[in-house]
Amino acid sequence: MNLSWVLTTLVFSPLLGIVVLAFMPKTQEKAIKFVGFLATLPALALALAAYAHYLAGKKLSDFTIGHEWIQFRGMSGDAPIFSVYYELGLSGFQLLLVVLTAVVATLAAIAARYVKKEWKGYFMLFLLLEVGMLGVFTAENLILFFIFFEITLIPTFFLIGKWGYFEKEKAAYSFLIYNGLGSAVLLIVIMILFAKTGTTNIDLLTKIMADPSAPLSGDLKLGLLISLLIAFGVKLPIFPLHSWMLKVHVQAPPSVVMIHSGILLKIGAYGLIRFGMGIFPAQFETLATLIAILGVINLLYGAFLAFIQSDFKMVLAYSSISHMGIVLIGLAAMNEAGIQGAIFQVVSHGLISALLFFLVGVLYERTDTSLIENLGGIAKGMPIAAGFLLAGAMASLGLPGMSGFVSEFMAFLGLFKELPWLAAVGTIGIIMTAAYLLRAVLGMTFGKAHREFIGFVDLKGVEFVPVVVLTALIVLIGVYPSVLSSPLQATLETIMLGLGG
Amino acid sequence: MMENAWLIPLFPLLSFLILLLIGKRLREASAYVGILLTLASLVFSILVLFERFTEPTYITKFDWLTIGDLHLTAGFEVNQLNALMLFIVSLVSFLVHTYSKGYMHGDERFPVFYAYLGLFTFAMLGLVISPNLLQTYIFWELVGVGSFLLIGFYFYKEEAKAAAKKAFIMTRIGDVGLFIGMILIFWQTKSFEYSEIFRAVEAGAVSQTMITLTAILIFIGAVGKSGQFPLHTWLPDAMEGPTPVSALIHAATMVAAGVYLVAALFPLFQASQTALLTVATIGAFTAIFAASIGLVQTDIKRVLAYSTVSQLGYMMLALGSAGYVAGVFHLMTHAFFKALLFLAAGSVIHAVHTQNIEEMGGLWKKLKFTGPLFLIGTLAISGVPGLSGFFSKDEILVAAWEGGHPVLFLLALIAAFFTAFYMFRLFFLVFTGEARGEQKHVHESPSLMTLPMLVLGVLAIIGGYVNTPWFGSFLGDWLVDGNEALGHGHIEGPAWIMIAATVVSLLGIYLAWLIYGKRSVARDWLSGAGGTLHTILLNKYYVDEFYQLIVVNFVKGFSYFLRFIDVFLVEGIVKGVAGFVQGLGITGSKMQNGQVQTYGAVAFIGLAVLAVIFALTGGYLK
Repeated sequence: MNLSWVLTTLVFSPLLGIVVLAFMPKTQEKAIKFVGFLATLPALALALAAYAHYLAGKKLSDFTIGHEWIQFRGMSGDAPIFSVYYELGLSGFQLLLVVLTAVVATLAAIAARYVKKEWKGYFMLFLLLEVGMLGVFTAENLILFFIFFEITLIPTFFLIGKWGYFEKEKAAYSFLIYNGLGSAVLLIVIMILFAKTGTTNIDLLTKIMADPSAPLSGDLKLGLLISLLIAFGVKLPIFPLHSWMLKVHVQAPPSVVMIHSGILLKIGAYGLIRFGMGIFPAQFETLATLIAILGVINLLYGAFLAFIQSDFKMVLAYSSISHMGIVLIGLAAMNEAGIQGAIFQVVSHGLISALLFFLVGVLYERTDTSLIENLGGIAKGMPIAAGFLLAGAMASLGLPGMSGFVSEFMAFLGLFKELPWLAAVGTIGIIMTAAYLLRAVLGMTFGKAHREFIGFVDLKGVEFVPVVVLTALIVLIGVYPSVLSSPLQATLETIMLGLGG
Repeated sequence: MMENAWLIPLFPLLSFLILLLIGKRLREASAYVGILLTLASLVFSILVLFERFTEPTYITKFDWLTIGDLHLTAGFEVNQLNALMLFIVSLVSFLVHTYSKGYMHGDERFPVFYAYLGLFTFAMLGLVISPNLLQTYIFWELVGVGSFLLIGFYFYKEEAKAAAKKAFIMTRIGDVGLFIGMILIFWQTKSFEYSEIFRAVEAGAVSQTMITLTAILIFIGAVGKSGQFPLHTWLPDAMEGPTPVSALIHAATMVAAGVYLVAALFPLFQASQTALLTVATIGAFTAIFAASIGLVQTDIKRVLAYSTVSQLGYMMLALGSAGYVAGVFHLMTHAFFKALLFLAAGSVIHAVHTQNIEEMGGLWKKLKFTGPLFLIGTLAISGVPGLSGFFSKDEILVAAWEGGHPVLFLLALIAAFFTAFYMFRLFFLVFTGEARGEQKHVHESPSLMTLPMLVLGVLAIIGGYVNTPWFGSFLGDWLVDGNEALGHGHIEGPAWIMIAATVVSLLGIYLAWLIYGKRSVARDWLSGAGGTLHTILLNKYYVDEFYQLIVVNFVKGFSYFLRFIDVFLVEGIVKGVAGFVQGLGITGSKMQNGQVQTYGAVAFIGLAVLAVIFALTGGYLK
């Protein structure tokens, strides 16, 4: 059976929703929201089908598609000098991210029920954003990757700037400037690679770079890797490139933050792993200690600052910085445990932060606040929401039996092998994570209620879907991590081969 | 039967899940779900225990997580220690489940309480049948959550919220020690399996420094969980939870997990004299430290909490003095008499609605069952000959003496005196004399509550006879059977130790009687003699204040310092970059002034720059 149509359909299926929405009247709020939600389902179904395909023991390479696309021919010859192909593919790692994207996108579409105005525009941009994200994780060459990468930027800019909270414009511009600079750096790297090697295919580039006779000096490779580190460091974000994402986390509407924190930040991690570590393994090794230090800084810096925030959204924003530190820690370990831990953390944090930000949306919808102090004692009025909030916090602070623990454990397992002292410093983050999350969550849910919460509606109806699905996935990964680790083994082997391990 | 031991933790998990989903509809019938399912665990545990008397250790495992070539496994193991712990935990849990039906009657979150109890019991049972360190750690954290949820059960009380948070964070500090120790030993031995670790240690594959380091790091985890100094402060605060919870978690089972962990990893600790000495010293110090605080507290549950901390110190002292059997034996007897004391205290609180012993008094006649049962517990913990605590405490003292720690032995002996004194102080103040506070409608608790106490009362009396110097050390011989590394089933010691222990305990009781029973000695005889000392003890040596001052303020201060960096430095750089771009733009726009000369100059300079670059690099990036 020829399955090469799957990925193209998967990536572009949200466009169908955009077309349908284009023909709908602006005022039909319910219908628009419903269509917007439906439009995310084909991608979800296909992503799950691809996972089932893998589970059935079949090859992921069945999905690979390659097509001639753009070619530059010289004056004389027939053979194209530079050609860019339309290439999509799936490895185990990419499969996981595609499934994660599809799941979070669908759930974020449900969270978009809190959007108050111009639903039509919102969902059209939202679906375009989904196309971009799915494309980023399936693109097999750098040009295509870059195009999809840019497609994620523009809808996000408008989604923040138009549908956000009070300082939305400022946040949107901050987002655009930082990410714009990041992608400019990325573009330069891609162009240099393209010019030097004549290809942007990632697998080919990996092979070429492993060849000592490659037309690139070691210094240039190191320079390119550092540029990649900066480009994706903005996205991840790595300290001190993080200030934009704080604004976005606070100002963007809940469903966009679910996507942003759940998926968009992960593009940074994906890029670092696939391009940074994949294409420049030797140079990555020279930077490993530096990356480990950056990781520990991220981890502790985010944790300590999250400890003194008064707005729960800010706590979660700094918490994201802290948790992305664990990704860096895992990568810097450069061994199987560390890298697998980093990838687990990517998926796990995507689920956990989507859950927590959805709950922020739920609370904000009812109370018009996300300040910890104002929410004090809300467990009295909304016990179920408070219970899930506590569960999310437990997952985030790395409680065993939930996904956060497995990733944190493996990342530290990896780093303790290579740089035990640095890892030991990093473990302070484990304590601080518990401290700031309990301070914030108990501050909101436990204690004496500051006001009457009686009459508040607890979680109801469709709101249960994202909360239950995300919690179930978090627990599933925590209890049975093989759902993630078994598709990853092949990817891991490839990476380790590149590292010469 | 042993191959089905994995079912034992799953029954309470089932109870947790059922009650989470439909508890609200079941209301107080939720108790039956919990009681029946823990009864199932208890029955299975008893069967497993009896089978383990005759059969060899059973162990099974499967791959849990694959990392490249590393295969981390999960599974379960039934050895002597595990089988005994399964029995203790499921027994106390079952009794507490039953007792709570009466104690928690009328609480609007009744089903939630039972759900949490189920979660905790699941985690605790899972902990004691784990065959490897990683799985132990997983359940180790889960029992912590169960404890956290139950301490914070009255979530609307500020004290409960603070206590729950404190318990979680303090134990987590210890857990990080365990976490690091576990990972370090893994990279030394390439395995989390207990058996593999012991094999590698025995074969000398791990350096002495590494053994000491990992053993001490793992011990830090035990210090946190078992409320040993300096991480003990959360345990007394944990008394904010409902009293049955204090009996189950903060007396009999979870807090003993630290002792269990050291016992489970005993061969590792035995490989390092330094580690053993650390364990023994911390244990002995905690024993006397907490006992001295217990002398002056006025909250019935807090006195018992400090007593728990002190008794756990005893167990650590035993293990640190190579008295494996003594430590485990005391863990068992302590579980019986301390759970009894807490349940009896709960019954008292249930009757008089206060926890302040100054407001009680004269309850002996009014609480016809609770009084005698409380007395049994008090006699047992004080080490009065014939009861369970006497035998196990004697084993510990012998172990400490024979282990070559005369100073620690002396500390333990003084702590025994303190124990007898403060326990009988408690008894006399609560049950004898005149009623001091308002006592309306004081009535004995329902039989649902007294029956579990009765069972524990019987065990508190006879539980010690499985291991005595008079009738044979059956428990000890069985525990070390097939594993000589754990030491002898019974350590022979001089006879005077037993006499000394008895004398010390009787002296403590006599003094308490003189002051609080007969009142021939003034109550401020001690506190009057040393007013400062009394204040220090009442304020628990100011450890909490010290932590607040040093640790909490440091963390906050450091956080504000980082915020300063975030706001000024990081944002400053951002503004600087923005300003630079803006400046560039302004400069650029100034060049667009319409003067051909400027344009020409700019074009020429640009060309020159390009030429220089070209000359230097040849036009290519290398």
